[in-house]
Amino acid sequence: MDSITLRLPHTVERPAEATNYEPTTRISQPTVTGTSVVAFKYKDGIMMATDCLASYGSMARFRDETRMTAVGKTTLLGMSGDTADFQHMKHTLNNLLTQEYDMDDGQNLGTRSIYKYISNIMYGRRTKIDPLWNSYVIGGIDNGEKVLGFVDYYGTTYQSPTIATGFGAHLAQPILRKYVEGHEDEITEEDAIRILDDCMRVLYYRDCRTFNKLRRAKVTAAGVEISEPYALETNWNIAEYVRGYGPF
Amino acid sequence: MARRYDSRTTIFSPEGRLYQVEYAMEAISHAGTVIGILSKDGIVLAAERQATSNLLEQSIGSEKIYEMNDNVVAGVAGLTADANILINQSRIIAQRYLQKYDSPIPVEQLVRRLCDMKQGYTQFGGLRPFGVSFLCAGWDSAFGFQLYQSDPAGNYSSWKAACIGENFSNAQSILKQEYKDDDSEGSSSTAGTQMTMDDALKLTCLVLSKTIDTAKLTSEKLEFATITLKNNKPHIHIYTSDEIDQVLTKYDSVIKPSNND
Repeated sequence: MDSITLRLPHTVERPAEATNYEPTTRISQPTVTGTSVVAFKYKDGIMMATDCLASYGSMARFRDETRMTAVGKTTLLGMSGDTADFQHMKHTLNNLLTQEYDMDDGQNLGTRSIYKYISNIMYGRRTKIDPLWNSYVIGGIDNGEKVLGFVDYYGTTYQSPTIATGFGAHLAQPILRKYVEGHEDEITEEDAIRILDDCMRVLYYRDCRTFNKLRRAKVTAAGVEISEPYALETNWNIAEYVRGYGPF
Repeated sequence: MARRYDSRTTIFSPEGRLYQVEYAMEAISHAGTVIGILSKDGIVLAAERQATSNLLEQSIGSEKIYEMNDNVVAGVAGLTADANILINQSRIIAQRYLQKYDSPIPVEQLVRRLCDMKQGYTQFGGLRPFGVSFLCAGWDSAFGFQLYQSDPAGNYSSWKAACIGENFSNAQSILKQEYKDDDSEGSSSTAGTQMTMDDALKLTCLVLSKTIDTAKLTSEKLEFATITLKNNKPHIHIYTSDEIDQVLTKYDSVIKPSNND
């Protein structure tokens, strides 16, 4: 909560020194990273999936990572990009929620507010040339309406019934657009799971920085639920026919 | 005796009073009356203009009633110049919240921030308090319609009907008698009241007629505003002179010195 700055007379309070903005002398590069997030609106709310991998370059370093988190009771945040920056964002959001809790006034921050809050942080950081190296997907139900939005490290924002980051934007988005766009309110949970698994399967086949262990999450009127990890059934038969595959 | 403790707001008197704050409230009790009445469909705010003259260009600008945000409208009583500062501050507060959270500021939070500011001027800085009281009428999705009264001390409370300014105690007692309070237990989170907007407007006219000194109530002397819901969104309507005349005509029965008293 920002305080009102009372400009008190100089006998009481010294004026604030002008802030110096010096040029950045450090580079920004991600270290431990997560790959795609896939999310879309369905009949009961929002569904989102991420795999459980945090890569250290090309090494599959942390294989039980959760790249999604609940923010309050009505919002789900999924991330791709740097894990440390995600943890920082989680801490910041936690502080925000604690402040709101302390206010104890019966008001809650809805998904749109969380989305705006995160967007402002991301754009502010990019303006200081010190980005949080992430792409976020924020989903939830705000006043009965399904909200699904995207923010990246430039501070670019957009909302859409289907959102995918990273490789997902290239490989999963066409699948989502075909099966989800236009039918958001008709897709049942079973159908949604099937669509999601199909997307994640394609990503597992084609994205080198994935892992066959993923989590699914949904936001409905009942709240946010993140599933336990599970694996997808895959078929690598065609691999034999790929020239150069194997020792022969 | 009190004079010794007047000069600075930051000083308590031996009886434990803050005289400057009390003097501020005294100033307000000489200002034009503002009445606010909560109904289940909205809130009515009415105010008496004190600066009236043929030469005044009344149609431009407000003296008493101001929009603070899309969902909050307030009536002020007291030093107009002080009020202008606070209104500007509250508008900035509301816009900052909107920029940060993409959501209209909850009414109580806006009132609280404003009151925290007013309180600051009673505790440090050696400056005098703001000589303004507010009646803030607003709507938010958590608590529906709410009416808050705040004073120069920085106190605020929520009311079903309230009055500030000249003759406020008179008006308050009439409101207490005439306001239809809700007796039932099962009221929802929004205001537990049986009053309709029509009832509220009628009661407003009644109270105005009994507390304002002039012989006849005219739109020249009054400012009127309502906040209601349109398409599930808060809608603030600040009445034009003609619209005020219409209201006064409609409820003429309660205004005229009644023959059936």
